[in-house]
Amino acid sequence: MSDDLKAPAEEDGDWEKVGVEALASRSDLLKRAAVAGSAAVAGGLLIAGLPKVAASAPSRAQDVRILNYLLRLEYVMAAFYETAAAEGQLTGEIQQFVSVVGEHEREHVALLQRILGDDANAEPSVAFGDGTSNPTKVAATARMLEETASAAYIGQGANLTKRAMIDAARITSVEARHAAWIADILRGHPAPAAADPAKSPSQVSAALRRAGVSISG
Amino acid sequence: MSDLTLEQLDQDGAIQEGIADLYGHSRADFLRKAVVGGGVLIAALSGPPRVEAAAASDVRIFQFALNFEYLQATFYTETERLGTIAKMAARKALWARTLGAHERAHVAIIKKVLGPAAGKRPFFNFRGNTETEGRFTRTAVAMEDLTTALLTGLTPKLQDQGLTAAAFSLMTVEARHAAWARHLVGVVPVASAFDEPKSLNEVDRIVASTRFISTLRARTTTTRNPRFTG
Repeated sequence: MSDDLKAPAEEDGDWEKVGVEALASRSDLLKRAAVAGSAAVAGGLLIAGLPKVAASAPSRAQDVRILNYLLRLEYVMAAFYETAAAEGQLTGEIQQFVSVVGEHEREHVALLQRILGDDANAEPSVAFGDGTSNPTKVAATARMLEETASAAYIGQGANLTKRAMIDAARITSVEARHAAWIADILRGHPAPAAADPAKSPSQVSAALRRAGVSISG
Repeated sequence: MSDLTLEQLDQDGAIQEGIADLYGHSRADFLRKAVVGGGVLIAALSGPPRVEAAAASDVRIFQFALNFEYLQATFYTETERLGTIAKMAARKALWARTLGAHERAHVAIIKKVLGPAAGKRPFFNFRGNTETEGRFTRTAVAMEDLTTALLTGLTPKLQDQGLTAAAFSLMTVEARHAAWARHLVGVVPVASAFDEPKSLNEVDRIVASTRFISTLRARTTTTRNPRFTG
């Protein structure tokens, strides 16, 4: 899918004149963007090296940092579903969910690696505590991971350059679909709000820690 | 950062009146306090209409999105009014009512974003698709998948960074609706690892082919059938 990283299609005419430089001259927009990104303060392992994202206009360098952050989340999810499939004693719909969604997360890893090229960070080692030990825990951890991933993409999407955003958007909606699916399996609310909240990197880190996920490397 | 409630959003009371019509006042009171969510939207919605300083292309995108949200909101509201939702099993009725409430909230959000640039609600004819559970469900599944494709395609085309962030918060909600709908009807909720975006023009053609909107493009004369809602 490397050709998905092209500029917006020609047929869309003036819409493709996407100028992030224009933002720099509009300080009020930047202030709002800072709220939108709310990613400024890093902290915790997951986001080591992530800059004050929303404080500066999108750039390739910023894309690399954001996409590596999202890649790290995708690595965590792919590893989770792989471990859960092996150890979770899964049957029925949870087994189907883990199989389908696990494949999606591997594809997300592959696409983000391809976009990042040589800038892609290596896979960390991840431990899930007892989160993969039985179907109930697998489902609960999966729900947390999908909700967190969806909110993480919402938090960073607008900070990407348009080129990177095209692919990020196609992943974002899929993470939200995963979240709704597992919520419905668990008889939770698949769509609890009319607009989904964003999570900052530090909130993402905290959510993973609370769920017993530890990441190193 | 606290979340926005429908009450804060709906200061002229238009949504609440509609909800009270549908559910009676106790339900309306409950829904009034319902969290609209999306802290980003508080930034996007505070102050004057957001598109005043935005690019003309952003205005066009939001105007199109507003028409699409009008279509969805009217579809769910009409289905409720016709009693089709009341006959559904509890879990399915929750789905249908949630989607209606969300799409009405999206109309309010986008109208607020557009301010005076917001167009009026067109007239619709859903051609019987609000009258039976089966036809309603099939249409809703298709509509939610289409909205997801629309927003994944349009969001990266927005220029205003705040509006882009807000669009991400709405896009995921439409994706949740679509997955929930597909799960209810027994289809895999996530067809592939990547959602396939559709351009505004593609979506416009698909919507036109349904003939649900009778006044999408301004015509000087319109024949209104009494069953149209608007």
